[in-house]
Amino acid sequence: MKIASGWSRRRQTIAYWMILPAIAAMLLVHYIPMLWGFYISMHDVNLFTMVDWINAPFVGFRNFIDGFNPATTTGARALKALQNITIYSVVAISAGYVIGLAVALLLNQEFVGRTFMRGLILLPYITPDCVAFNVWKFIFQSRIGILNRYLVQWNLVPEPPIWLVGPPALWAVTIASIWKGWPFAALILLAALQKIPPELYEAARVDGATAWQQFTMITIPQLRTVSVMLLLMSILWNFNAFNQFFIMLGRDPGIAAEVPSTLILREAFTSLKYGIGSALSIVIMLILLVITAVYLYALRGTAGVEEM
Amino acid sequence: MKRFMCMIVGVVFLLGLLTSMTFGAPREITFWLMPNAPDDVHTVWLDNKVAEFQKQTGITVHYEVIGWGDAWTRLVTAITGGEGADVVQVGTTWNPQLAAMKGLVKLDPAEFGGIDAFMPANYESTTYKGESYGVPWFAETRCLFYNKDHFAEAKVQPPSTYDELVAVGNALVKARGQGTAIAIAGNQAWDLLHNWAILLWAWGGDLVSPDLKKATFNSPEGIEAMDWYVDLVRDGLASKSCAEYNQPDADAAFINGNVSMAFMGPWNIANIEHDNPALNYGVVEPPKGPKARAAFSGGSNLAVLTGSRAQDDAKAWIKFLLKKDSLVSYSSELTHMLPGTVEAFDDSAFSTEMYKPFKVALEYATAYPPLGVWGTIENDITVAFKAIFTDYVTGKLGAGGVKKHLDDAAQRVDAALKTEK
Repeated sequence: MKIASGWSRRRQTIAYWMILPAIAAMLLVHYIPMLWGFYISMHDVNLFTMVDWINAPFVGFRNFIDGFNPATTTGARALKALQNITIYSVVAISAGYVIGLAVALLLNQEFVGRTFMRGLILLPYITPDCVAFNVWKFIFQSRIGILNRYLVQWNLVPEPPIWLVGPPALWAVTIASIWKGWPFAALILLAALQKIPPELYEAARVDGATAWQQFTMITIPQLRTVSVMLLLMSILWNFNAFNQFFIMLGRDPGIAAEVPSTLILREAFTSLKYGIGSALSIVIMLILLVITAVYLYALRGTAGVEEM
Repeated sequence: MKRFMCMIVGVVFLLGLLTSMTFGAPREITFWLMPNAPDDVHTVWLDNKVAEFQKQTGITVHYEVIGWGDAWTRLVTAITGGEGADVVQVGTTWNPQLAAMKGLVKLDPAEFGGIDAFMPANYESTTYKGESYGVPWFAETRCLFYNKDHFAEAKVQPPSTYDELVAVGNALVKARGQGTAIAIAGNQAWDLLHNWAILLWAWGGDLVSPDLKKATFNSPEGIEAMDWYVDLVRDGLASKSCAEYNQPDADAAFINGNVSMAFMGPWNIANIEHDNPALNYGVVEPPKGPKARAAFSGGSNLAVLTGSRAQDDAKAWIKFLLKKDSLVSYSSELTHMLPGTVEAFDDSAFSTEMYKPFKVALEYATAYPPLGVWGTIENDITVAFKAIFTDYVTGKLGAGGVKKHLDDAAQRVDAALKTEK
């Protein structure tokens, strides 16, 4: 007994040493900068104070109040950015999941060239963001874009719409993001589909279950664990979306398509209001923490979530 | 005695080591610049100049070309951290901002030939609170490019006033179709303000008051100038698609021969030679407005970071780059910008028919006010400009729309000006 507990302690010590480099890296790359970010958000760090930013005047929560005060341009933009990113995330995640699931179900069938097709669907996902979103920018361009060319050619619109300015810009970016994102959902869901024991379907068929009943009573419950993880990751990624907005709409996408990441970029690095930029970042981080906590709490009964 | 001798030898050895470290250290500086020319020719030119400079002075220059997109962050990081580079290229509007951060060394213009050695507006861009924190390297201004074939087809001459530009534009539209008279930058242009500033000045307005305390761009002149710009689209002279253009999109529309006019910089002469050498085009000065003829003065300056431990060597490199032969070859053969010194400007390379309007325009060109908070101000005005364009495209720009957006921006700019120290 004594030998066993000694071994157990030693194993624990070894385990701690093994994870130490990862913890050190996390501290240096994530947690310490986050603490600095929090420090900056409570201080008036701007153009004139940034060289000696550690001694910048303490302003308490003023940056948070200014950053979200609807009476100010920044505050109004911040609130609109939160609304926009919520709409964008809900649509992009839902559509990406539905398309991904449909494609995964198709690719889970036996047919010639299945392996090739599995590789092919990953093409949008592995295309670098700057390439993919620049191509989408061209597609949506009003004068030379291929979309307007066909819309006009088929007499669907009287004159070429302007997609990348005003409210349509948000939808243009959402469509491009769905195109870029669904293959990842398909890949993950396909892997999960392949882990479902075929015996479950065989038994269901013997019992006379229809294809729909098999889908809703076997496939969906069996995908639950993976779906929970997939949706959580998608929420985190989409809420922080930056590349697609920056590439397709530029540094200032306009209020109708503003998202938190572009606003933070401009406040911090164009207007040099680092305090407000940090305050906005902290709030976004807290929102994501709350979403994650609520999501995990709501799905606490789901297998796999407890392990996270 | 033996121990004493050993101590003497030891001390002498240590002193020798320290001396060799101090005096024998190679003289080196780091130079950050932007991709001012295509890499293949740029690198060759820089390598040659670095070798020539080393031969003359014994100073080694390590250069690094940094994209415009990253440069600001790199500079700010270098200033905050106290190290990174010795000599840096800075955009003219960045110069006062970086000086306000206490990131640049104060320079005596007399050391570089005196104030009169530089183009006036470019020298002004190096100043902050009346002191100089940089040296003009090369300059840019924008002139009106026009397609000679299109003009012949419509039987019109290049405009010399903004009223004439509209009349010429209408004739071009009649001859060639809606939206083909001129290409203008829209919402995706980071430098959108440059397009409106020249109109604002031509209409007799200004961005801020002379004492730099109050925004004045929302004056009646500012509103008229903005209306004139939006009218280009509203009246069909420019395509509605321009609302989503950046400056290179507008330039490309002219260079490809799709539109008849565009306001462009001198570097586009090289782009035309490269992309569409058959284009039959001409360049004229910016037209005259109701009050004046105005041009924008931009470009890049050279500055020394306060963290530099080799400030004298850094200044020597700047003087070397400003020598007439260096500046003329760099401007006329590589960057296709205009040299920052009067001496280089007088070179025959800049007396060609294409360069002449730029040369004349730069003589009366205006620089943006040298303010530390200029970044915030430019951002605020540009946001308003884009909101106006967006409202127009989405059909929401009512009668008072332009004034409302400019008033909102003016409020923000007034708040920013109050923080200027």
